[in-house]
Amino acid sequence: MATKTIRVDLLTRVEGEGALDLQISDGRVTSVQLNIFEPPRFFEALLRGRGYAETPDIVARICGICPIAYQMSAVHAIENAFGVTVDGQLRSLRRLIYCGEWIESHALHVVMLHAPDFLGFPDAIRMAGEHGDIVRSGLALKKAGNELMRVLGGREIHPVNVKPGGFYRAPSRAELAPVAENLARAHELAVGLVRWVAAFPFPQFERDYEFVALRHPHEYPFNEGRLVSNRDIDIDIADYETQFEERHVEHSTALHSVVKRRGAYLVGPLARYALNFDRLPASVQALARESGLGAVCRNPFQSIIVRALEIVYACEEALRLIAAYEPPDLAALPVAPRAGIGFGCTEAPRGICWHRYEFDAEGTIRTARIVPPTSQNQPSIEADLAAVATSLLDQPDEFIRHRCEQTIRNYDPCISCSAHFLKLSVHRT
Amino acid sequence: MTGTGGQAAAPRKVLVIGLGNPDRGDDAVGAIVAQDLGGRLPADVPVFARRGDMLSLIEDWAGFDALVCVDAAAPLGDPGRIHRIDLRASTLTKQISLTSSHGLGLVEVIELASALHLEPREIIVYAIEGASFDNGTALTPAVATAARVVADRVLADVGRLQYASMVDVSDA
Repeated sequence: MATKTIRVDLLTRVEGEGALDLQISDGRVTSVQLNIFEPPRFFEALLRGRGYAETPDIVARICGICPIAYQMSAVHAIENAFGVTVDGQLRSLRRLIYCGEWIESHALHVVMLHAPDFLGFPDAIRMAGEHGDIVRSGLALKKAGNELMRVLGGREIHPVNVKPGGFYRAPSRAELAPVAENLARAHELAVGLVRWVAAFPFPQFERDYEFVALRHPHEYPFNEGRLVSNRDIDIDIADYETQFEERHVEHSTALHSVVKRRGAYLVGPLARYALNFDRLPASVQALARESGLGAVCRNPFQSIIVRALEIVYACEEALRLIAAYEPPDLAALPVAPRAGIGFGCTEAPRGICWHRYEFDAEGTIRTARIVPPTSQNQPSIEADLAAVATSLLDQPDEFIRHRCEQTIRNYDPCISCSAHFLKLSVHRT
Repeated sequence: MTGTGGQAAAPRKVLVIGLGNPDRGDDAVGAIVAQDLGGRLPADVPVFARRGDMLSLIEDWAGFDALVCVDAAAPLGDPGRIHRIDLRASTLTKQISLTSSHGLGLVEVIELASALHLEPREIIVYAIEGASFDNGTALTPAVATAARVVADRVLADVGRLQYASMVDVSDA
């Protein structure tokens, strides 16, 4: 029996530590394992016994790239448990700070981490020699997103201004004025970025994904909505555990999430876009069509276009929110703890981030459960890899290795978050 | 001095940055040197302590002529050993491995800035070999001693960098 092994021992241009092991036997892909060896971080256990008010600052530490996702899911879960509804300008400020996170996270991935794959560069540093203007645009976009997070969150990494009920301090209109000026410029850069990535050479590859995302009656989703799929799922976020489960697999320190009845599903930009295209402004829809996309995109390599479109959307939405902003009377609504269970689910840049907390009467956490986006996408990443590798069996190992790494980067995986990521090994027999 | 007919040249813009996580043992050494230099540097020389997002350094040093950067280095068997790297004469990658768990590290950010012509004209990096990078631990004694030595050497570098002319620098 002819066996071949292709291995990537340490995946680069992803957040965290992982590897890929691919087994090819008698001309078939027999095994694909995404080995996540980022150490377990035990955040759910760490949260037990801590007060509700501490939660946003603790969970922000899960990720330096997407701390807002964890903070937003946490505060919504806390408020859900304690019967508090945040609306008006405070709700708008939450959407606004989330815009900042999408802009900085997507810009980093699209320009610095993913684009080199399509243009044959080993990294953004080498790409900068030929595409300096684009790299400068990426840095400027990231800066604009960071600025939004800094003004609203106190700092861009692990922000400290988010609390249950709202914020410790609300910004003035004057503080947001220069942010809006930068966002207007960032919007122009983002439109240019969409057109640049849309012209990349994309592999002809599609899969019939089960997309899962939030869906809101009126908005492209950030913080609220029902949990829906393109199959038959349409549930309240509190019912997540009725449809989905996490399973431990030996080759990963991150749990794998599946739809109980069907298996792998996909969260993130492709899912949000497919399930919420009608919620995008006409300007972004038109830009998507100009870029060659329909209302649904099933080619994971084209996720780079969707991410760039989401940067454009986030810039537009942020500008809209700032234009309508009036400082609220209170930076935060009063929150009184009570015994209960609360659920939060928000759209992190990489997909839904689901939280469940059980509190005692004083608001102390009895149990916590956090399901990050990358762990939900792991089975889908492995299914993509098997399909991509199957189509490339006659290619040299180095070509397979590169395409597999690119396939993983389609997901912008955040391994640190999921370890709850990459070396690639291909074994041929 | 440049040949400007005897007029004193304006000091060049110099920035000092200390890198590292203050809660991870010897990784804190850059931040501690930055803290030590607070109030000791000339008023027109800012000093920043930075951690996490190294890409933001490109924003930090925009408009500066020279940069002095202090960071911890991975253990090579001699904790507290001080490596001074002048990037006009050396490259960082060949010299020493600075500590970064993931993402772009200082070396990559300087390379990226160089490719985009966004780097200060002169960069000096002090890399101090660490021994322990455990969470919540203090500097090891040898690294603490090295931190004080490096702070004094950075002061001397800043004095030279502020008043070294561009001609002097390129001829150095």
